[in-house]
Amino acid sequence: MAAALQEGIYHAPGRRPGRFFALLFLRANDGVDAPAAGAALAGLWGMYSDLKAGRIRDLEGATLPASEDAMTVLLGLGRNAFALPGVAAARPRGLADEYLFRSADPGGGGPLLRGSGLQYAPDVRANMATEAFCVQVIADTKLAVDRAVVETWKALADQAQPALELTTFYLGNQRNDRRSWIDFHDGLSNLRSEDRESAIAIGPGTDEPWVTGGTYLAFLRLAIDLPGWRSLGRSAQELAVGRDKLSGCPIVSADGGVPAADPACPVAGTQIWEKPNDAPFAEPPEVADPAVRASHVQRANHHIRPASDSGSRRIFRQGYEFLEWAGAAPGFRAGLNFVSFQDTPARLLKMLTAGGWLGNANFGGDENAHPRLASLLSVYGAGVYVVAPVVAGEPFPGSAALGVAGQAPPALAEPAITGGAAAPPE
Amino acid sequence: MPYDAPGHADELSDELRERWNETVQRAFAAQNDALKTRFFSLDPGALADARPTDAIKWPGDPGKPAFCVGEDNAQALSDWGLTGRRAVQLEYCEYMVLTARDATGALRPKRVEVTTEFREYWACVAMHDPELVRAMAADVLGEQPSWEELYGVADPHALSVEEREIAFGHTVAGHGNDRRLRVAGVPAQPTGRLNMERALFMTHPINGIDDLIYVAIFGAHAYCVVERDTRRQASGDDVFSAFKVTHLACNHADPTISLGVYDRVFRGGQVAFADPIGMYIREPNLAVFSYSGEPLPEDWVRFSRGRPGSYQRLVFGPPDEHEAFLDDVTLSLGASEQPLTGGYQLLRELEIGPLMSVGEAAPIDDGEWETLEPAAGTIACDDEESCKPVRDLLVRLQAERAGRAAPRTMPEPTV
Repeated sequence: MAAALQEGIYHAPGRRPGRFFALLFLRANDGVDAPAAGAALAGLWGMYSDLKAGRIRDLEGATLPASEDAMTVLLGLGRNAFALPGVAAARPRGLADEYLFRSADPGGGGPLLRGSGLQYAPDVRANMATEAFCVQVIADTKLAVDRAVVETWKALADQAQPALELTTFYLGNQRNDRRSWIDFHDGLSNLRSEDRESAIAIGPGTDEPWVTGGTYLAFLRLAIDLPGWRSLGRSAQELAVGRDKLSGCPIVSADGGVPAADPACPVAGTQIWEKPNDAPFAEPPEVADPAVRASHVQRANHHIRPASDSGSRRIFRQGYEFLEWAGAAPGFRAGLNFVSFQDTPARLLKMLTAGGWLGNANFGGDENAHPRLASLLSVYGAGVYVVAPVVAGEPFPGSAALGVAGQAPPALAEPAITGGAAAPPE
Repeated sequence: MPYDAPGHADELSDELRERWNETVQRAFAAQNDALKTRFFSLDPGALADARPTDAIKWPGDPGKPAFCVGEDNAQALSDWGLTGRRAVQLEYCEYMVLTARDATGALRPKRVEVTTEFREYWACVAMHDPELVRAMAADVLGEQPSWEELYGVADPHALSVEEREIAFGHTVAGHGNDRRLRVAGVPAQPTGRLNMERALFMTHPINGIDDLIYVAIFGAHAYCVVERDTRRQASGDDVFSAFKVTHLACNHADPTISLGVYDRVFRGGQVAFADPIGMYIREPNLAVFSYSGEPLPEDWVRFSRGRPGSYQRLVFGPPDEHEAFLDDVTLSLGASEQPLTGGYQLLRELEIGPLMSVGEAAPIDDGEWETLEPAAGTIACDDEESCKPVRDLLVRLQAERAGRAAPRTMPEPTV
């Protein structure tokens, strides 16, 4: 039977993800081997299935209004999962060190990637998003994602010697005005529906058949310097983003430094995300003006076809805003849980580092004229996970890779004749 | 005639420019006879309200081998000296790694020479202006080659234009799949050291200007798929499957050119190569490279044969007089720090592509649409048949590395 993408990747035409998001990180405790971790995951997977069906651990016989939640659960396996004793599969190519994010400096901060303008926040000394496993929960109600976190803790805490530990989780939500904390529309130029699966799903390959049909999840917890952003005038903001602040229409010129959108956009009486704007306007057109080309939306999308070629650097994004208390001014931290799915993390990493793309840029726009743009975003967590496909008969996606009993182990990768990358810098 | 020397790299006489444009015109005519379309013009000046597009570009590393044998093995094949160059460097970008001996006597990579120059251009100049082609070669190589090294004879001026083309083909350029040259006995690949030990310009026939024009014209049609009485844009699978050219889907360059052109045509635009027609290297982000923890010295990254935005040549690595070697350069990718051991890693950091122009969109008449059957499925780029040459090559390489056999090998070039 053909393998399929896990749920929680809302790529089908017309599908909108649920409004609430949680990303949980699970560490395998000391001495735990891969089959034991897999057995614990199988238990969690069953618990999540119960939640989706309206059944909850401590309320036997009670039924939850699960249809209101429309909860989906997705499991990712990180680099550390493939270092567990007894693991049945080799670390997949997309989790090689060259496709992972750098660690934060021990003293805090440090570059996310060489060649990128993204830095860890100065108060980040450890990246918490690099555990063996991650679980993405998306639902239409906040209760559903919160409950998944609590129920995960319950399921692990009830074990005498839990194999896994819930080390951290991140929450987020989507705004109903389709904007982000910088007030601009977000996610408009995501991949066209017909291109999505070819950019998301890992194609057939000779040495890693068990991941074929799966994908890679990349996660960035990005805080936004809102005081810095609000210190910019509207024109500077629009040239940084590449869209009109109110309408969301793409900026197409900047004569005299004045950003201008296509006057036909949006079609009268419609919003930018509605038909018939989606095809002609949602994805910004290719432009010649260097000031517009320096904007975020232009750097992130060079309009290369086909999207199926990793050289197009197209990714499928699902973003969720967050807001949390912080001691420093302004008294809170606002930001974005950036999640992308792609057949290879190379798409995202090259987009973030390549010249003419987002290489050396923090967000986009003229960082020389507006220095606060160079530190607009700071990183609070970053990770890459392989999202194994759903295979009928498996207790959970990727279980065979962990050597869970009853499953034929996947073939180990053919040894290459060149050495891999050197160890990461720390 | 519209086109100047590729990259504006050379000052051409009016007559030589005319000859170059005739070369382009011949390549165009050969393809256009079979794929005639109004959506592609050989004259960028003929486009209405034309604007440039930078969207047709791709990573320089060979794509097909990675589909067939994985990235690590693709790197090994691509970096396999002249054998690798001639077998897998098929993305309109060829390179050679120059080696030198270090203080211990070990042979190590010193520099990478990357070229995207068309053999047709060099052959055209060689036919009509031997002095200029020798000057071009001297500029690229750093030393003036002899006439024998360029033409195999002491005096190319004594040859006819046609004889010079054949002589230059034998020695430096190969036959480029040109029937006349094949009949004349010119081999597919050159036999002289200038373009075997060094990367003077591209020599693989598939990296020719005729192939570039073919894949562009192939994409320049108003293809569509009709579903539920609605016309939709065809996917790459639809297009390549419909014409039974699925092999075009399985590298970086061909689908990017064809589908990039088609994407603009579908919206009613007419497409042309911008002047000058050529294959150009976009500048990489040098921040990912370092030497001893510091940025690379400026003279370790030398672009040439063009202007900013239209370079056709990159020489990457320390100069002869510096004690460092290429593998002393660190490439920082993700969480890894890798020594730069060959050209494949460098090519993954480069983007290659022609500069193109797109005319103002205009309505497409109903009669112009070419309706295709939707593809039955996704094109498999790792299928047994199309991967056989790559896998066979890998077997040869593994045998050589294991010392079990002594297959045909080429000498490692040294500086």
